Order: sequence, then structure tokens, then C-alpha cells
Amino acid sequence: MRFLAAGGMVMLLSGIGAYYAVGQVSLFSTANLLLGAALLLAAGVLEARRFRGFSGRLARSLALRWGAVLAATFGLVVLANLLAFRSGLTLDLTVARQYTLSEQSLTLCAELADAERPERVELLLFDDALLADDVRLLVAAYRAACPIETRELSSADAPPAAAALLQTYDTALVVCRAQRCEHVGYPSEQNITSALLRVVGEELGPLVYFDVGHGEADLASERDHGFSALTSALRNEGMRPRAFVGAASQDVPDDAAVLVLGSPERNLLPAELDALDRYLQRGGRLLVMLEPRARTNLVELLERWGFSLPDAVLADRQSSPLLEEPQPLALVVNRFGSSHRVTSKMSSRTMVLLPTSRPVLAVRKPQADDDLAELVYTSPQAWAESDVEAALSGREIRPDPGELAGGELPIAAAGRYPRPGGEARIVVIGDRDFASNRWIRSLYNQDLLLNAVLWLAEQDTRVTIRPKAWTPDTQPLPLGTTLSYFYSLALALPELLLLLGIHAWYRQTS
Amino acid sequence: MTLRLAALFAKELRSLFASPIAYVVLTAYVALSGVYFFQHLLNYNRLLFVFQGEKLGSSGFDSGTIPLQVNSLNELFIPAANDFSLFLLAVLPLVTMRVFCEERTQGTDELLLTTPLRTWEVVLAKHATTYFFVMIMIAASAIYPAIVVTRSQLGLEHLLALYLGQLSYGVAIAAIGLACSSLTHSQLVAAMIAYAIPFALLDFAWLEPQLSESAAALLREVALLGHLQSFTRGVIELRHIVYFAGGTLLGLVVSMASLELARAR
Repeated sequence: MRFLAAGGMVMLLSGIGAYYAVGQVSLFSTANLLLGAALLLAAGVLEARRFRGFSGRLARSLALRWGAVLAATFGLVVLANLLAFRSGLTLDLTVARQYTLSEQSLTLCAELADAERPERVELLLFDDALLADDVRLLVAAYRAACPIETRELSSADAPPAAAALLQTYDTALVVCRAQRCEHVGYPSEQNITSALLRVVGEELGPLVYFDVGHGEADLASERDHGFSALTSALRNEGMRPRAFVGAASQDVPDDAAVLVLGSPERNLLPAELDALDRYLQRGGRLLVMLEPRARTNLVELLERWGFSLPDAVLADRQSSPLLEEPQPLALVVNRFGSSHRVTSKMSSRTMVLLPTSRPVLAVRKPQADDDLAELVYTSPQAWAESDVEAALSGREIRPDPGELAGGELPIAAAGRYPRPGGEARIVVIGDRDFASNRWIRSLYNQDLLLNAVLWLAEQDTRVTIRPKAWTPDTQPLPLGTTLSYFYSLALALPELLLLLGIHAWYRQTS
Repeated sequence: MTLRLAALFAKELRSLFASPIAYVVLTAYVALSGVYFFQHLLNYNRLLFVFQGEKLGSSGFDSGTIPLQVNSLNELFIPAANDFSLFLLAVLPLVTMRVFCEERTQGTDELLLTTPLRTWEVVLAKHATTYFFVMIMIAASAIYPAIVVTRSQLGLEHLLALYLGQLSYGVAIAAIGLACSSLTHSQLVAAMIAYAIPFALLDFAWLEPQLSESAAALLREVALLGHLQSFTRGVIELRHIVYFAGGTLLGLVVSMASLELARAR
């Protein structure tokens, strides 16, 4: 019997081992698996002979009773497993709550469910993507919260729009709506939600025009000061960024949900200023980012709408302790006007990094019904350095009498202006670099900027703090540390246990 | 009743640690875990250097060249945790095989069955002792994943999820082993069956190409390894806890039935 059991086990292991070694079921592995199972069964049957002594009535009824208990337990276990499977209850203990949908994703899911023309949104999973547990957990979270359908396909069966994406991108997940598909790329919540926003937004998403031609940052430029990352972030929010040459146009396009002026370095033509004013009077939405050095007649237009932008640069020796080389001009700010929708989700834990910025004050309402608010503030130690050239060229600066100081200074402000043509909205931020490729992914810069655009485009419900792309550490453990761990833990602990075993054996035998 | 159970538990514990087998098994498990963990660690370090070396700039290593998939979680934490669960499977039957069989070999089972102790008390004490031993084994290997967790900021909660999974799995394997030990006279047979059942249930990936989609999906739910993965990812799913708890309950009931029938005989 023992021989049968041992032989059966060896054959079973050989069968499984042969499969994993070759990667397919062969005659050898099948024969070993079948014979191994048969031998183990035979050993079990032989072993069961010891129960032959069950002849008495009492013993038989006991055997029957325990048989019933076993069957009932098995049934209970199967039922409990079925119920647990259906419940889908999970507890996400990952440090970044990677498998729990963020507010942004949940809001989008709710919008998809409430859409007036609900077209089927599908998440296509190619080539057994669901077998990867991280993908399965993420998809399960979307299935639970979103009205999206998931389909598992092989890449050979991909619909044409998805097949084109599979050839272009390294992706196993594709989001489709009607005939339009978007790739997900690396399977993360951020990427799936972005793909959903892109696929929903491309037809309906608000148009965001960027005025160019006055030295503004290039939308397509991937250099440090370019706006390609901002463009991509806007697309990921379901918006449609477009360049717009104001100097060549009579008027701001009617379909503009938001017009962005990314720190013009030259004066705007008088006709352009008039066009901007007309645009605002008919309920236009304007986002202005102005660098400290920018001397443009746009400042005068903004003054007419209640903002004051003193020609100064903000400095604070204590606000950038997190930077490798703290500089008084690089501000890390975490004070926000919480009553305004744009900054309602920001808190002292969501810091924004502004490399060089200027004060933006909301000083007066042009009309009684208008509503102006300051959004972002420096620390109380900051001051507005009026010698901009000295500050920007790195010369020593200090607060001088007559300069703005002695309190939290505003760096961004927003205004709402009910007008006969519609409600105009303006957001002014005293920095442009924070939105550039180099800085937009720093801290919560992207959230501040995107929330401002969303508020301007009247997509207030989407104002949120976006899930951070979190990846575990990718730094190697130094060899010295590794070896010290190895000697102290991997070798010493088993050695100690072995010594204890020898001691136990010695005591037992003596 | 509680006192009797506690006394039985203490007696079983003393008996377990009086025998060198417990230490040998612990040593084997901890040594295997340590060696394989450091093998993964070395591989991970090598992998990082390969990726970083592709784009050596004037400022040194450019970590931006490392693909997102290559990180301490995917390359170190999860493979090490998977290995630990296989080692648990490899060594646990060596402990469970003796629990009931040894009583029979030494003839003490007759004594045990004729005492006023209830069957469930005997079975529960033996199971509890073995589960406690499983806890010790798992705790002894916790140092290695803890290193990754502290170095990579994975969070202690992630470690908790992993060890809840390992513990549920270990206890279920132990319960199966104990059930096997209660069914047979031979320690070898008990160990072989205790190996065979979990190995057979381990993974059905090899069978899936031969099966229909629904049958493959069903087998995926039955396979042991599939129920461990989300714990290593830091997520606790009720269905996996219930799966392992079900295995444990079945093992416990089989042990009780076996002892009750032996007593009746």
C-alpha cells in the first residue's frame, strides 16, 4: 500500500512536471497523471479496508450520520463559496488604494450612467489580459461602479478600430464607444479613466482654444517649456485642445468652451483685445497664465475685469524646503481658497509648485452682481519683490519698504460675471511655467490647472483630485546591505532553528 | 471544557516541539524562503541595472528608462510570496503526517479514544496546535517581505493582506494534511495523500486548453494558487477567505468523522 501511494505520488508529480517543462500536455504527462491518480486511488481503497470492521448497527448508523455531516459540510462550503463569489466583497489594502476607484472615476461612471444618449461603452480585454491579477482586480472595480461592458477577445477577433490600436500601441486593453476606440496602455486606473474620458469626450468634449502668436508656449512642443503634457492631460479629461491665432481672427470662435492665454510675451493687437472683451461680454471663459516678466496690455484688460497684477515676483525663503536646492522664488504653496469650486478639493496636503510667480489680486467687482475670489495664497512670510530683473537673474533680494508683504499673498484669482450674453468666467494664475512640460506633473500642479479649466467649461462636477500614478520603488538594494541581510537573516535564522532541533533530538534520544 | 482544551493544546504543543521534526521543518522552510528571497533580490537588482544601463547619462542612472512593470512589487515581493506558498506546501505534510498516525503507531490512540474527552476536543486541540505551528512558520519568514515593504513603501497593510492570505492558505493545507493523517495508519501514506491533494488542486492551467470556457473558469475557481494572488497584490477578497475557510472546515470535519468512526470500531 505504501509503495502504491509513493509510486502514485511520484507519477503524479512527473506528469505535472513534464507539462510545465514542455509547456503542453504530452502522452508522457497524461499517462503519468492518469497512472499516478489510479495508484493513489488504489492505495486509498486498500487503506479503507480497515473500516471493514463496521458490522454492528450502531457503527453503521454512526457511519451514515457522519457521511451525512460530511455531505452537508461540503454543500455548505460550496454554497458559501458561491455567495462569496457573487458578493464581490473586497478590501483594498494597497498603499495607494490601487484597486479602489477614485472620485474622478466614480464621477465619470455616474455621468455615463446618467447620459441622455447612453451608447454602449465597452472595455475590450485582449489575449487573456484578465489572467493578470492586477488587471482582474481593476476591471472588477470598474464593473462594479460603471455601466461599461467588458469583453474578452483574442487579438485576431478585434474589431477594426481596436485592431489598429493593438498594432500601434503596447496595450491589452481598449475602450470603445460606437465605432471609436482608445487604447489604455499600462493597465492602471488613471489610464483606463483617461481612455474612457477620451472616448466619451471626442464627440462631446469641450473645445479648449489656446491663443498663440505672441510668444506663448507651443501646444505640441515636448521641450521643457512646451505644453504637450498639458495638451495630453486635457485630452485625458475628455477635452479637445486646439491652437487659435487670435491676430488672424476677427473674433473668438463661438464653439470655444475656454480660451487659454498662456503668458503672451508681446502686446496683443487692439483688435484682439476688443475681440476678447466682446467674447467675455457674451459669456466667454478665459484662463490667463502670466509670468512675472510678461509686460503685456492684457494686464489692462484684466484690470477692467477686477484683477490687479502688480509688476513683481513673489519670493519666500521658507516655502520651498522640499526642493533639492531651495530658492526664494520657487514657491511650494498649500493655502487655497476652499470656498471656491476650483480649489474646493485642494487642502494643505495638496501642494502646488510654482517656479516663478507674480501676485494676482481680486480687487474690485466691475458690477455689483459679479463675484471675485482669490484661489491660491503664499505663506505669510512671502513678499512681492518689485526688482523683478534682479530676482530673476539670481541676485540677492530682500523685502523692501513699500513692497507687498506681511500676509498671505494671492497668486491666482477667479471671477464670475453675469452678463446679458451669458455668464463670463475668468481665472488668472500668476505663473505659466507651472503648467509647462517640466512642472505640470509636479505635486498637484495638474489638478489645480485642470480644475480651473473644468470650472471655466462649466464641468464643475468633474473638479477632483486625480489618482496619482503610483509605482513601487525601483531602486536597487545596495549589495552591502543585501549581503548583511543575507548573513544575518537568511543564514543565521535557519542555523539557530537547526541547533534547537539538534537539542530536541538529543533530549529525546537521551 | 476550555481548561481541558487548553491542557490538550499545551500537551500537543509540547509533543510537537519535543520532536526534532518541527525544527527540521521550520529550518527547511526558513532556509528555503531566505535563499529564494535573496535570489529574487539579486535578479531584481540585476534587472534594474540592465534597464538603467541602457541610458547612462552624465547625471548617472536614468530611472526613467525602467518599464513600469519592473518594480519591487512585481519582481521581488510577488515572486517571493509565491515561492513561500509553494514551500509551505512542500513542508507542511511532514508535520501533519505524524499528528494522528503517531498516536496509532505508539498505540496511544486507544488510550485517547477511551478517555472522557470528546472527539471534537481531541481533534480541535490537534488542529489548533498545527495551525499555531503554521503561524510560527509564516511569522519566521515574514522578515523578508517586511524588508521589501519598508524599502519600497508598499505599506504595512499590504504585508497584512499577504500574511492573512498565507495564513488562510497554510491553515487549509494543514487541515487537509491532518484529515489525511486521521484516515490512515501509515505516516508515509498520510504524507503522500497530503501532498497529492493540494498538488492536484494547485493549478489547472495545464488542463484549460482541453476544456470548454465555462469548465476552465470553474477549474480556475477551484485551483489553489488562483486564490492566493490577490492577497499578494494587497487586496483581501471575501471569496478567497471563504475558499480557504471551507477547505479548513472540511479537513476538520473529516478528521472528526474519522476519529469518531475509529472510536465506534
